[in-house]
Amino acid sequence: PIGQTSDELFSSQVHPVLFSAYKTVGFVFDENGKDVTPQPLYQPDPAAVMSKHSKIFASDTSGGTMSDFYSTAYQTTTNASFAGPFTRSVFGSSTVSRGSQSTMESMNEEIEDPSSKRDISISLSDVQVRREEVKELIKEEMLDDVVDRYLIESETLWLLHMPAVSVSVDSEEAESVKERNNLYMELCKNRMGNDKYVERSMQTFNGAPKTKEVQSEAITMVDAATTWDMYDSFRSAGLGEAALSPDTDKATSASSSRIEIEPFVVPSEDEPDPELVLQSEKFQQDLFVMERIILENIYQPKLAAYRQLPTLEDPDSVPKVVPTVVSRREESSLDEESTLTPALERLWSFSCELTSGHNVSSMAWNKRNPDLLAVGYGQFDFKDQKSGLICCWSLKNPTWPERVFTCESGVTTLDFSASNASQLAVGMHDGSIATYNVESREKTPVIDSSDCAHKHTSPVWQVRWIDHERGASGEDKGETLISVSADGRISKWFLRKGLDCIDLMKLKRTRNEKDKKQVGDKEKKSEALISRQAPGLCFDFHPTDSNIYIAGTEEGHIHKCSCSYNEQFLETYIAHKGPLYRITWSPFCSDVFLSCSSDWTIQLWRQDLFTPVLGFTSTQSAVYDVMWSPKWATVFGAVNEGRVEIWDLGASILDPTIVSLASPGVKLTSLLFATETDCILVGDSDGQVSIYQLKNLTVGEGTQVRQGFPTG
Amino acid sequence: MAEVEETLKRIQTHKGVIGTIVVNAEGIPIRTTLDNSTTVQYAGLLHQLTMKARSTVRDLDPQNDLTFLRIRPKKHEIMVAPDKEYLLIVIQNPSE
Repeated sequence: PIGQTSDELFSSQVHPVLFSAYKTVGFVFDENGKDVTPQPLYQPDPAAVMSKHSKIFASDTSGGTMSDFYSTAYQTTTNASFAGPFTRSVFGSSTVSRGSQSTMESMNEEIEDPSSKRDISISLSDVQVRREEVKELIKEEMLDDVVDRYLIESETLWLLHMPAVSVSVDSEEAESVKERNNLYMELCKNRMGNDKYVERSMQTFNGAPKTKEVQSEAITMVDAATTWDMYDSFRSAGLGEAALSPDTDKATSASSSRIEIEPFVVPSEDEPDPELVLQSEKFQQDLFVMERIILENIYQPKLAAYRQLPTLEDPDSVPKVVPTVVSRREESSLDEESTLTPALERLWSFSCELTSGHNVSSMAWNKRNPDLLAVGYGQFDFKDQKSGLICCWSLKNPTWPERVFTCESGVTTLDFSASNASQLAVGMHDGSIATYNVESREKTPVIDSSDCAHKHTSPVWQVRWIDHERGASGEDKGETLISVSADGRISKWFLRKGLDCIDLMKLKRTRNEKDKKQVGDKEKKSEALISRQAPGLCFDFHPTDSNIYIAGTEEGHIHKCSCSYNEQFLETYIAHKGPLYRITWSPFCSDVFLSCSSDWTIQLWRQDLFTPVLGFTSTQSAVYDVMWSPKWATVFGAVNEGRVEIWDLGASILDPTIVSLASPGVKLTSLLFATETDCILVGDSDGQVSIYQLKNLTVGEGTQVRQGFPTG
Repeated sequence: MAEVEETLKRIQTHKGVIGTIVVNAEGIPIRTTLDNSTTVQYAGLLHQLTMKARSTVRDLDPQNDLTFLRIRPKKHEIMVAPDKEYLLIVIQNPSE
């Protein structure tokens, strides 16, 4: 049959190669001499290989590539293991050829000549069909089935076989090998002189080595991926494909520890780019923080003293020269003596070139952020009016205000709102009122009263945000802005399509019987013709009852009024002989209030008494400001032109406990206590706001102030 | 923009400040009050240190990032505000 002849072909052509290759593979015999050579499990079809071979050799083209040839040779070598049994039983066993043919059928479906082969035996076709059946039955359901997989050892694949050229003396072949060797030697002897049988040696030329240069891209070494690098890449990958390339660029630049940045973005012009950096917001933020840190370095001792923290000694500071040390020792001994006496220690002052020359007219703490201070600058007198200035200072930066607002006319008063902590109300010398939002960087007020029909026509001397608990006549219960002005009106402002106000009270002039005897009577009479209203200079609402308030006028009268009555005063207290500059309820004792005026006196009143309980005079200069201490019930501070005084009523009612003189040429104009710490702020006419710390002020514990005040 | 310039000027005039340097990501000085060689030296060295510091901070917690770096040698203090695009360096002698 055809198969067999082709087998012969195969064996005749390929035989020498295979046979020698195979020959030295050992047969395994056990003790009994039985051939127990392990049979390979897989028996590929040599006929299939053979047909390929015949194709290759017959077509006489090298269309089959070398790899093809090798693969077939490979297959032939795999079949080498059969060569033994195959060649032994080459003509004998048709079963092998049958099996091999069937595998050929199943493996090479494209081979066209199966028809002749099919005729060979029926069992063949059975095998074929079975195999094909197996293939057809694979369907969807079978995908979910659990299929068993068997791992079997494949046959040994020979990749390289270098047969040994020497045989051990002990092996069985030794004899045959020796015999052959001898035969060959005799053959060679017989053929002496024949060139074919002479031993020759060969030499291969080694070519001269030649250096070749290769160029490649620079190999970049990067550090091993760090935790954050992986985190970054993961995050950027998760963020979207679109942003992938710049992110990966950023990731690579971030991960590289080199200083040089890869030029993946080369700016065409270098000049605008650096400037852009300066304009970025992050840069401004960094500058801001940097400045504060620098200042903290400078001011740390003072700020720590302010906040009552221990000051840090700089361990690296150069120790002072000896003579000064000696004097410091003297000072320290003096200090020991003077540690007992209360004193004011100057910590620092808020000032900058913007504010120099301006008169500090009022100061107010922010209700929410106790480090933020608003200072208003404006002249008190009507002459030499400059444009007003409002600066918001932060404790963290005493050299430059956080916000600066300029106003047309001098600022006389300001107050922060409690409900809306960034809202600042400002009253000015020309009678207008404006509110600013200090959070924003805008320079213009949020709202202005210049359009209001009822606006004040004279300087507004005080504004205050008052929280009404019960709204009068059904109005909203929020905070309202109350102002008092020199045109004699106390007005309540609210927002309704713009700032509008209603009058709470018109301060009428009151005639006092006692004054008739004085010379000033005539002047008063003539003054009454000009205006029936007394200019109001200050007011204060009762700390607990927001309906009651007291107001001081230029005449020196104090009127107690109520929001419910806007025609009449509840009470009038007369004692001062000059305009009242400040009037304030005691935060601890709700019946007591203080007033100070330009008649050099400070008076302490009780609500139900018409004459002052106590009066304080220390110098002969007008007292501009007075304020109760928020911490001690018996302490208040006052500022007159030349000095700051701290009075402690528990210690002495005749003299102030602490007196601090102002620098010469400077008038002190306003006073503010700090809420959390024992510090006071004093503003002066040169635009400086100085912070002083109250030292060694020991105050009696008693808040029972009434005991100290004798009646009558 | 003018505000930035003003703030920079103010920082420079604070007590004890020896120098202020702003360099961009490539090490080119944008604003500096020191001479060029010193600036370049500071910028190069501090850049490396900042990268290392940032790498450390982020290794400890990848969601964290370095915002400010202060180095306190004996003679003065170096404060660095790092960013991807620039480095802001201020050298101050606080005990002056």
